Amino acid sequence: MALLDVVDELVLGTKDVFSTMLMMDLEAAESSDRPEDIIANVSGMIGLGGDLRGMLSVHCPAEAAKEITGALVGMEVTELDDDVKDAIGEIANMVAGNIKISFDRAGIAVELAIPSSIIGKSFRICGFSGATRCLVKFSTPACVFWVELLYVLNK
Amino acid sequence: MGKNVLLIDDSSTMRKIIGRSLRQAGIEFDNIFEAGDGIEALALLENEKVDIILSDINMPNMDGISFLREKANRPAIKNIPVLMISTETGEDIIGEAKSLGAVGSIKKPFTPDKVNEVLGPLL
Repeated sequence: MALLDVVDELVLGTKDVFSTMLMMDLEAAESSDRPEDIIANVSGMIGLGGDLRGMLSVHCPAEAAKEITGALVGMEVTELDDDVKDAIGEIANMVAGNIKISFDRAGIAVELAIPSSIIGKSFRICGFSGATRCLVKFSTPACVFWVELLYVLNK
Repeated sequence: MGKNVLLIDDSSTMRKIIGRSLRQAGIEFDNIFEAGDGIEALALLENEKVDIILSDINMPNMDGISFLREKANRPAIKNIPVLMISTETGEDIIGEAKSLGAVGSIKKPFTPDKVNEVLGPLL
């Protein structure tokens, strides 16, 4: 599967989750290979195994994390608490589920781990050497966030 | 006497969303019980009457497949129908769930209409 296809699938898979579960249309998306551009206070992550090793992450600034969680649970969210961690982890889980289907169609079997999340003011999530990085910046009317896929195909 | 449902998912957010989707789909239950994994679910089922179970697959401690296997060995609860709600869509794992007694599956993400379409005929 070519890099461009993976980015396309990442965009489609993320838009599907947001339109279905949050009734939120993501208006714009741009791809990047510069992880230093990410501004995140909350990151939800899920490991990928099987025919590849990888990790899918959803990186959100505080306001984006609160907006996304609020839309997901249907109420105003004012603090970065355990509910926000849980919600962003579940967004990562559902996007990863869509990516798993995309890889499966290409003959690459993917297994999903259990999502986890972190909250902080300053952190960096590192990948593993040689990994292909797909990073997409999404915009809602009120915020931006990033979805990142790091993966290495097993030989 | 009304019906009771048990939601099994390690995400409390997802349990809230499923509960809200049931209401939006017009499916009313007297009680909505919640469990964070298969172990919590089995403990709850010892004390509560449950008519249908909606369960995730990928969970810590005891996942949905192990829960189905354990439930099948318990005569008091083995006939309670279980509907899987998961990001897992592979034929292998869904097939395994059905072989262990699951009556159907819903893929995450889902809409209230999808919940109604799959769950409605089971009630």
